[in-house]
Amino acid sequence: MLRIYGGKVFDPANGINGQVKDICIQDGRIVDTTQAATEIDARGLIVFPGGVDVHTHVAGGAINFARAMTPEDHRRTQAFIRSQTRRSGLGGMAPTTFATGYLYAGMGFTTVNEAAVPVLSARHTHEELNDVPIVDKSCLVLMANNEIVMNLMEAGDYERAKHVVAWYLNAAKGYGIKAVNPGGVAAWKWGKDSKELSSPIAGFNSLTPGMIVQQLARIVDDLGLPHPLHLHCNNLGAPGNIATTLDTMKHLEGNRVHMAHSQYHAYGGDGWDTMRSEAAQFAEYFNAHPSMTTDTGAVLFGDTVTITADGPWQHLLYKLTGRKWGNLDVENETGCGIVPYTYKPSNLVNAVQWAVGLELLLLINDPWRVFLTTDHPNGACFWRYPEIIQLLMCADFRNACMAKLPAKIKSRIYLPEITREYSLYEIAIIMSAGPARALGHRQKGNLAVGKDADLVIYREDHDISRMFAQPRYVIKAGEIVIDDGDIRSTPEGREFMVQPEFDPTTEDFLRPLFEDCYTMSFENYPVELDRIENPTIQDCSRVQ
Amino acid sequence: MYWGGNPAECHPRHFTKYALMPKSKFLPNGRKDRTVVLVDIRETKSVKAADLFLQVRPGKDFELLTILRALLKGHDVGDREIAQTGLDRAVLEDLLSRMKASKFGAIFFGMGLSMTRGKHMNSAALLTLAAELNSFTKFVAMPMRGHGNVTGADVIMRWQTGYPFGISFNRGYPRYNPGEFSTVDVLVRGDTDCAFIIGADPGATMPRPAIEHLARIPTIVLDPHVTHTSRIAKVHITTAPAGIAAPGTAYRMDEIPLPLSPAIDSPYPTDEQVIKQIRAHLEQKPNWLPDSQQTLASQV
Ligand SMILES: [Zn+2]
Repeated sequence: MLRIYGGKVFDPANGINGQVKDICIQDGRIVDTTQAATEIDARGLIVFPGGVDVHTHVAGGAINFARAMTPEDHRRTQAFIRSQTRRSGLGGMAPTTFATGYLYAGMGFTTVNEAAVPVLSARHTHEELNDVPIVDKSCLVLMANNEIVMNLMEAGDYERAKHVVAWYLNAAKGYGIKAVNPGGVAAWKWGKDSKELSSPIAGFNSLTPGMIVQQLARIVDDLGLPHPLHLHCNNLGAPGNIATTLDTMKHLEGNRVHMAHSQYHAYGGDGWDTMRSEAAQFAEYFNAHPSMTTDTGAVLFGDTVTITADGPWQHLLYKLTGRKWGNLDVENETGCGIVPYTYKPSNLVNAVQWAVGLELLLLINDPWRVFLTTDHPNGACFWRYPEIIQLLMCADFRNACMAKLPAKIKSRIYLPEITREYSLYEIAIIMSAGPARALGHRQKGNLAVGKDADLVIYREDHDISRMFAQPRYVIKAGEIVIDDGDIRSTPEGREFMVQPEFDPTTEDFLRPLFEDCYTMSFENYPVELDRIENPTIQDCSRVQ
Repeated sequence: MYWGGNPAECHPRHFTKYALMPKSKFLPNGRKDRTVVLVDIRETKSVKAADLFLQVRPGKDFELLTILRALLKGHDVGDREIAQTGLDRAVLEDLLSRMKASKFGAIFFGMGLSMTRGKHMNSAALLTLAAELNSFTKFVAMPMRGHGNVTGADVIMRWQTGYPFGISFNRGYPRYNPGEFSTVDVLVRGDTDCAFIIGADPGATMPRPAIEHLARIPTIVLDPHVTHTSRIAKVHITTAPAGIAAPGTAYRMDEIPLPLSPAIDSPYPTDEQVIKQIRAHLEQKPNWLPDSQQTLASQV
């Protein structure tokens, strides 16, 4: 059906590093040969597997609250004007759903993972994901502050907790388990936080964050979920939090774990005045522990809006900035906070954050374990990824950017000593092949025969940022969706989910608890499968 | 704490199902473990449910909220300023000490606050008070919304357009300006030559010029009932009532979506079916939209 010939192919999953190779596509998959109806002359062009975002916030109650809070940004952002092929919408800090699909596809990303979904409002998240066109999607369910699960963990009833987590995952139609500030979001309901891995959580007698992360990581592995526990550590954003982060990683030794947005968890110093990078310490430990993956949550200077289930952190950020603050408590499950934020190069703390994000990408040796994210929209908006790629590939450009920072920064960061530059092959790993593997998407980030025909074709360009921001073609499931900046078609994406098995008595156990703990009836709670467009169920297989 | 609302009559399930009665792990005695405050300009039926009733002078909500914020921060406030709210210092200080001493405070505010003198400034002052109370204890605030699925409309407009209401699409992309693009303003100005109305009865609540304009233009109403609006409409399509005879989703005031399961059948089509049919017919017509020359690069 479609043949792409003459392109320089970067397909790290198959060890292909810039060889000229034809790619044939039929029925949405890559095939050996085809009677091509359409041909793309890719001579002189560069072919990548489509981008995969392992951690982003694009749909659901929190980002939708952020949209409501930032009309001033919608006003100044470029608008998507409706046409015969696309819906109208707005880009900016918290893009509208249709625009989100266009913007991701527009820079060559074809799979995205929404990283924080409360089960109670999962129905809302899926309705929004249905309105995100072109890309394939999945979502992670928040589980580290769920009081039912926490009570079971405190009581030492691991088996029951495991089945309850499996039931929740089925109910939410989720893809994996997310832990955000374990215990800290529950403590925030008392106006408190939880910063120490071994201190009991407010409202509990003996349960600690350390117990939660260990049991959740084990549950995820016992259920055989394709993606490891996706962990946002305690003590995010705080100077000196490297101690908490290292302690957390030590608690999880031997387990699979994905450390989310590690940039926010690798700081030294004992206050805002003395905050410094500890990216080297993080990288040293991480490099030695191959069962871990991470995404950077890199920061770029400019305006954005921060969104996280980490309620107490957002209250602190509101007090630090004096800007708008939104807070949502999600019954007995989780919570979330929203604060608009501007990262300024003149601000020493922000400058350290900017450096840490890049340092982690440069100091972690194995590109298969560190992925390109900004924790959209927290560190920067996802459509700014090409700027980060340029910073990784061009040391000169990086040094020029560093020269604009306050002189005092030099003694607080490692970046000035780092000369590493990413190759195109490594970029293809951190933006596609690596995150696809970490998510357990065997069909993605891979251009072998039989895999999904999601790929992006770039013009080679000395301006790296422009090269990655304006691909020549983007192909999703074998269809040309972007042709030189023009949205050619807007097919519906698929949604991935898992359905781990649980003990049949789990529902009898949960039903009476629902009467006590929830304002929604047990029968209304699970998301109906027929609400989801193109659901695709991924197998679970026990992890050794 | 309820401010400018009368849940006993307007949200009758709020006390029993959500806010006052439920027993829980940390509030085992239900209502007895809670303190309930009502702030309003008159004694409504909700007063019976409250431990404390503060009768604020009409139109002085903003002043009262501002004084509470000032006292909370330890600023001096004159007796004259306090007196104009219709309350005295001892009452306000008692209220604030109870708020600060609570374990978890929630303020629900109604249209008695948000639609009276000061309007959105009142809401902003109340939300700021709730935010600032978090320096002392956990506090949240939430509006008590109107009837029907108004929250659902608001939520979906936000994810599709970025804005909750008051949106104009006439330049091909969403623009927001309450007071200019809100339905009532567009109708009063006579800026629309057709109206399509679902799940609302503006004919019962809007000012005369707006209603007269609706009567002048082709107005199409989808409603299970005969309403003020359907009587002046050119076309009224009777639809099955949502949640009774039609399935769907309604968003609760806290933006949690609930599935609706119809209890009975209806001979009438659902709103969704009617709109889909209209859309299918519109798609038969030649597309009038220009093929936009706008490329993605110009978006970012
Ligand atoms: Zn995140």
